[in-house]
Amino acid sequence: MVATTPALELSGIEMHYGFVRALDDIDIHVMPGEVVALLGDNGAGKSTLLKVMSGAHRPSHGTISVNGKEHTFHAPSDAAAAGVQMVYQDLSLVEPQDIATNLNLGQEALRRGPLGWLGFVDRKAMRRSSERELDRLGVRTAPMTRPVEMLSGGQRQVVALARSAIRVNGEAGGILLLDEPTAALGYEQTKQVEALIRRMADQGIAIVVVTHDLPLCYEVADRLVILNRGKKVADLLAAGADRDHVVGWITGSRESMFPTAVTS
Amino acid sequence: MTTNPDVAASGVTTNPGAAPPNPAGQDMPRSISVLVFMRDRGIFVLWGLLIAFFAFWCSPYFFTVDNSLLIANAAALTALFAAGVGIGVMTGVLDLSLPGTAAVASCVCGWLLTEGYATWIGLAAGMACGAVVGIVNGLITIRGFNPIIVTIGTLSVLSGLAAVIAGGYTFPGLNQLEFMGTRRYLAFGDSFTGIPAPVFIVAGVFVIGTIFLTRTRDGIRLMAVGGNAEAVRRAGINSNRYLVLGFVISGLLAALGGLVSTAVVTEANPAASPAIIFNALTAVALAGVALTGGRGSLPRVLVGALILATITNGLTIRGIQPYWATTLTGALLLGSLAIERVIQSSVSERLMSANLSVHQKKV
Repeated sequence: MVATTPALELSGIEMHYGFVRALDDIDIHVMPGEVVALLGDNGAGKSTLLKVMSGAHRPSHGTISVNGKEHTFHAPSDAAAAGVQMVYQDLSLVEPQDIATNLNLGQEALRRGPLGWLGFVDRKAMRRSSERELDRLGVRTAPMTRPVEMLSGGQRQVVALARSAIRVNGEAGGILLLDEPTAALGYEQTKQVEALIRRMADQGIAIVVVTHDLPLCYEVADRLVILNRGKKVADLLAAGADRDHVVGWITGSRESMFPTAVTS
Repeated sequence: MTTNPDVAASGVTTNPGAAPPNPAGQDMPRSISVLVFMRDRGIFVLWGLLIAFFAFWCSPYFFTVDNSLLIANAAALTALFAAGVGIGVMTGVLDLSLPGTAAVASCVCGWLLTEGYATWIGLAAGMACGAVVGIVNGLITIRGFNPIIVTIGTLSVLSGLAAVIAGGYTFPGLNQLEFMGTRRYLAFGDSFTGIPAPVFIVAGVFVIGTIFLTRTRDGIRLMAVGGNAEAVRRAGINSNRYLVLGFVISGLLAALGGLVSTAVVTEANPAASPAIIFNALTAVALAGVALTGGRGSLPRVLVGALILATITNGLTIRGIQPYWATTLTGALLLGSLAIERVIQSSVSERLMSANLSVHQKKV
């Protein structure tokens, strides 16, 4: 996984709400195939930073580059067009529809010939391509014809993640943003989602995951970025990170790794 | 259930090498399949039971070809409006303006025919009214207003307009429309007098509608918008377009319903009867179409309308006051709600335990 250009790079990001500095001179980057965990206490600015990445918020200062090209995101659709996909916590799936329909929503396969001109979909092709995509990600869920409402929470999250993965995979070096992907899941289901995140990263997708779940970070993340009160206080490899130090950075009891950071 | 080896396949296996072959649909315990069948197809069973019951109770008058045609014809109008309400509800909007749309469509048609225009012009104009009403409803609703309030508003506007068009009277004597009203087709010999026109119209509407909703891209997206408009939007689809489309379809069906009822009585009446919408809603609710949207199917709506007609017909044959039909229908609706709740919760319960057992075994 040797790549020189970060898939997503933010530099000097500042975000002001009136006099409140939600984000203060944040630099962060993700390489293709890398999982970066964004940690911090409530109100540290994790979600704000994620919203900046996904195009939901425009930063007051700073630049965003995708694959080395600078972008200005006016709306989430701009970010999506650049290859940045946000996977929402509330599972944006259509519950009464089956897995294949959900995976193909917005890019349905049409039948060939006159029936296709009338807008008839090719259900078999959609089922096959969904199966293929899920196999490629190594997740065998329920049959493709099963409605999403009849899946367990973990299976749903897997389908939601797989859908985003399929979507960003079209562009080279897609970027996925995950907000608390395991928030509502039990232990086993969390394990499955962890494995899926790893596998998506192995396919070259850059992943930023916001979470409160420290064990999850050590399992899936390559690098930890820790925010405290809108400032980046630590940026270190997950392997070999001292867990007490990490907790110290999150709570603010430990000195920042960047004590001399000057606000521009 | 925990020992059923097939259940294992329903879990998400984290190890691709260990994933067992997973033939589609074969991994659910039998009890869940039966319950799901009852939930999705229970209304057909219910209708079958009703028919069997009346066939014995009202023998020999009920279970005959003539009587079944009578029921089909009686159900036709309710079914047309129920299709409109049903498609609206599946798209996530409850369109209450249907009676108004029907009244305006039939009055416009009646006025044009009385003025001496060709029959097809009158019918086309009536259907166009339905489309326009749908577009207006849709365009107002996507501005973020509650569809129920919006359509109550348009209902008032439309019933007023219909009365204005008719000048406070009706348009009687529209015999040109007899071909889609009381005329019967496919008569066979002396005994079989043919099938009434409205039955053909309803059959066409439901066949086309069902194919549209389940087989075409726009139909599937329409249902998806009803299920979770936000998810559809995030998939990069303009969900508002489909909301408007839902209103247009329901407006068109309302207009068609208005035109067929005009044809049956050969008179265009500007009175927008709220009973239309409540009958249609009863059929839709009986069909188990969740008012939250995204669920349901047209064949079930059709059976819902047929059940209403069957009950009325059977009780009439036995000479029981028609008020009892309404009472019985209401009781049936409440009972089906209770059964659906029980089935739904036991399905989710069983699925939950099945999934949990998978994870405990697998990992």
